[in-house]
Parts: sequence; C-alpha cells; structure tokens
Amino acid sequence: MQIMPVKKHMKSSLKSGYVTDSIQAYIMISLPIIGFFVFTLYPIMWAIKWAWFTYDMIPSHTRFVGWQNFVTAFTHDKDYWASWGNTFLFAIFKMPIELTLAFIVSVLLNGKIRGKGFLRSIFFMPNIISLAIIGLIFSNMFGYFGVANGLLLKWHIIDVGIDWFSTKWTAMAVIVFASIWNTFGINILYFLAALQNVPQEIYECAKLDGANKFTVMFKITLPMIAPVLQTILMLSIMGTLSTCDIILVMTNGAPSGQTNVVMTYLINNFVPGFTNSGANIGYGCALSIITALIIGGITFIYMKISKKLSSIY
Amino acid sequence: MKREFSILNLISYLFLFVILIVTIFPIFYTISASFKTNAEIMTNPGSVLPIKLTFDNYKVAWNSADFNVKILLWNSIYFTVFSVIFAILQSTMGGYVFARGNFPGKNTVFGIFTGLMFINLGSITVYPLLNIVSAIHLNGSLWGLIVMGIFGMSMIFVYIVRGFINTLPKELDEAAKIDGCSFIGIFFKIILPLLKPVIATIGILTFQSTWNSYLMPTIFTLGNPSQRTIIAGVVALKNTGGAASAWNLMLAGSVISIVPVLVAFAIGNRYFVSGLASGAVKG
Repeated sequence: MQIMPVKKHMKSSLKSGYVTDSIQAYIMISLPIIGFFVFTLYPIMWAIKWAWFTYDMIPSHTRFVGWQNFVTAFTHDKDYWASWGNTFLFAIFKMPIELTLAFIVSVLLNGKIRGKGFLRSIFFMPNIISLAIIGLIFSNMFGYFGVANGLLLKWHIIDVGIDWFSTKWTAMAVIVFASIWNTFGINILYFLAALQNVPQEIYECAKLDGANKFTVMFKITLPMIAPVLQTILMLSIMGTLSTCDIILVMTNGAPSGQTNVVMTYLINNFVPGFTNSGANIGYGCALSIITALIIGGITFIYMKISKKLSSIY
Repeated sequence: MKREFSILNLISYLFLFVILIVTIFPIFYTISASFKTNAEIMTNPGSVLPIKLTFDNYKVAWNSADFNVKILLWNSIYFTVFSVIFAILQSTMGGYVFARGNFPGKNTVFGIFTGLMFINLGSITVYPLLNIVSAIHLNGSLWGLIVMGIFGMSMIFVYIVRGFINTLPKELDEAAKIDGCSFIGIFFKIILPLLKPVIATIGILTFQSTWNSYLMPTIFTLGNPSQRTIIAGVVALKNTGGAASAWNLMLAGSVISIVPVLVAFAIGNRYFVSGLASGAVKG
C-alpha cells in the first residue's frame, strides 16, 4: 500500500521527462521543419501547379492548358532534347577519361612513390576552387588570344590560332578538359581510400601463387574495390548530369546553344537574370519536372544495374 | 628484373609529373597573368610570366567604383560567416536529435528529410523562393539566402554528425540526465564540445561551398550589384559589354576570390578529406 504512490510518482515523472524531452527535441529541429514547408515543399508545389498553366508573370496571360506543356516538350522542343544529347555526350567523354586517369594515378600513389601526400593534395586542389571562376579562367586560357593558343603557336604545334569556342566539338573538348581538371582529384581520394582498404595479405598470397601484375589488377584489386566503385560511379554520374556553373560561365552554350547541357538550357531559358522577361515559366516548370524525373529514372536504373558491384566479393 | 622495375618507376614519376604540371598550370597562370597589363594579356599570350610586372590590376580593382572589390569581399565574408555558423548549428542539433532523441514521429521526420535529398526541381524553384524573400522584404540582398540557411539543414552533415554521436558512449548522457540536465542542456554541455572534429569538417566544407557559390547569390542580388559576392561580381564583369577590356580586373578578381579557399585548404586539408570520405565512401 505504501509503495503505490511512490511508483505512481516515478512513472509520471518518467513520463513527463519523455514529454519534455520530446518537446525539446522538436524545438531543436523546429527551424528546419518550418524551412521544409516554406523553402522546400512550397516551391515544389508551386512548380507542380504552374506546370499546367501558361504563365509569364503577367496575370492577364495566365491560363490553364492541361497537358499542353508536357505535350509540347515531347513533340516540339528540339532544343531541350538536344541539350540532353549534349549532356550525355559530355558524360560519355568526361567520365571514362576522368575515372581511368584517377584510377591509374591512385594506383601509382598507392605504391612506393615519394611525396604521396603532397601529390594527393595538389591533385585535389582544383576541386576547391569555385566552378564559376574555373569557367572564367578556362574561357580566358582558351580564348582566341589566350595562353593555350599562345603556347601552341610558340611551340609550332599549330600555325593558325584555334577559335576554341566557335565550333561545337572544340568547345566541348575544352569543357570536358576543364571539368576533368576540376574533379579528377576527388576521384583519386575515393579510389585511394578504397585501395587502402584492400588487405595486404591477399596481395601477398597472390604473389606467392605467382600471379602477375595484370592478373592481380583485374582479379583482385578491381573486384575488391567494386563496392566503392559503385559509389564513385554514382557520384560521378550525378555530378556530370547536373553540371552547370562551369559551362554557364565558360561558353554559356556558345556557339549558338550547341554546348548547352540540360541544366544550363533551363537556366538560360527560364531563370531571371539569364533570360528575357516574358519566358513561359509554366512551360519551364513542366521541363523541370521532366528533367527531375529523367535524372531520378537514371539514378534508379543505375542502382538496379549496379547492385551486382556491391556484392561482388 | 631490377632494371625493368626502375624503368617502370621512372615512367610512373614522369606520368605523375606531367599531371602535376597540368594541374598546377591554370592556377599558376591566373596568378601570373593577374600581374600583366591588359595590353600584355591580349597581345602576348604565349608568355606565361609577365614581361613587365604590374600591381595596377589590384590597385584599380581595389579602388574602382563599379567593380568595388572591398564591398564584394565584405559581402562574401558576412554571407559565408553567417552561413557557416547556421550550418554548424542546424546540422549538429539535427544530428543530435536524430541520434539521441526519442520522440513520437522521429522516424517519419527523419525519413522525410532524407527523401528530400533526392527531390530537386532545380533552378525553376527560384521563382517561389524569390517570392517568399520579397514577402519578408529581403529581396535584392544576400540576407534572403542567409535566412534560407537558418531554416535549412544539410542531411549529409546530419548523417555525419549522427554517425559520430552514435560512437559516443550513452552513459555520458545518462549521467548528465541524472544530474538534472535537460535534453537541450545535454547537447550544449556534453555533446557539442565533443563534436569539434565534425564541426571543423562541416565548417570548412560549408565555407568552401558558400564562398564558391555563383548561381544563387547572382539571382538573389539581381538589380542590386552592391550586394553581390566576390564570385558573382567577378563573373558579372565577363557578362557586361566591355568584357575584353576587363580581363586584367577579372583575373585579379579571380585571384582575390580563390586565395581564401586555398588558404583554408592549406590549413584544413585533412578536414576536407575526412569529410568527403565519411560523407561519400562510407555513406
């Protein structure tokens, strides 16, 4: 009989502890929760709503058009799909070169090389510089009167200066080069982290069994780092598909929109400050939704296909 | 056998050396060209080093009225400092709440925030964001972006913090709780001081991404050039009419804008690396 009230008291104090703790937990994340509704959910809803309208911010022009924006996107908008073509072209050139280069360098840095830490830091350095500034620097270096032409002429590799940004293919080559320059260092870091996780005993065993360097590379090293390779590829695909600032500043789509990737295309046509007023923002919302769905789809397909990589050993 | 090995070694060093040169060259050239006169930049591109060294570009940039580096730098500094402070606060609190909190709806909230990382409609959402910002009278200013930072929480950082807190012994919290410490009190008195390495990582990565950002600061300061950050200001020079005549200013501006991140990198190298490793490879 005497115990009851004590127990009751303890229980209620425990319970009130849980309630206060819960309230305090919600207080701590209250700002991000408000931010979620105001700065994330509302903009998404806004875009989903206007995708069904013709909307250029002039109220009298606004009208509901149903599926029309989506139909136009799929049937009439060659430029938009050309920008997707450029995005894939960019990815097909950039990713294999960059990942191979990063892998070779990281294998070398993982071996008996002096100054590993220094080299690793220097290779990573371009990654910390603003993409916009990199675009600016490379547009200067590869301008007609830039240092690239200057040096090539001086060394007599070419007789006449190349106008890098006047044709699609040379412009694309410069973009790919600048972009690889920017990000290959981070892939070296990832590959090095993966290589250092491979147990040394396996290599020693292989050596005892008389495996040569190539067998070791393809039968041991690559399979052992496959799970990390899955992540590296994932990050590389996502990064490449959303490439934006560097192209926006370097070529801004030049010549005549032929180097626009999908992100720069959307910005050049629908974002204030980059497009003329009067752009059909409703249509831009529809294109943004299509873009998000395509990127989501690619991610999903990649995850499905690459599942094997994460369970290879 | 031994000879072959040394040849292979030589090729390795040579290969790495070539890549080293290619990596350093654009940065080196930018710094070197920023000390050239504008005429030399345009007429003598073949020489990497300036023939006639001049500091005029920096002097002009520092004192020019329409490309006012002093103001641009100040904008970049306060924009970055506030963004870093709030990113650290929000992501450490978020990580703590999701690691140690025990409240109804925890998993739902966590799931929604995680799912949000994958939903991105891109640049079109600047319209509603600009609407909100002008509704609270912060349009044409970096304060709109800072306020968005106050209400934001980077889930990648939350994951890093949560992972770190999960490795701390729970007895720490329980002891403090018995001493009468509240849930919030435990965070500020016990957990936060232990988070120093994670805070350094979050701080340096946020510093880098905020300082370097171009698109959002440009859009949010449209029509108000005196609010631009240094990056937005330098790139804006390229898009104005007299771009060709301003390469000297642009290069000097570029150097001014990359020096802070290079210094931060030199000091906090290991935090960059550890942050990226824990964020990507393990996650």
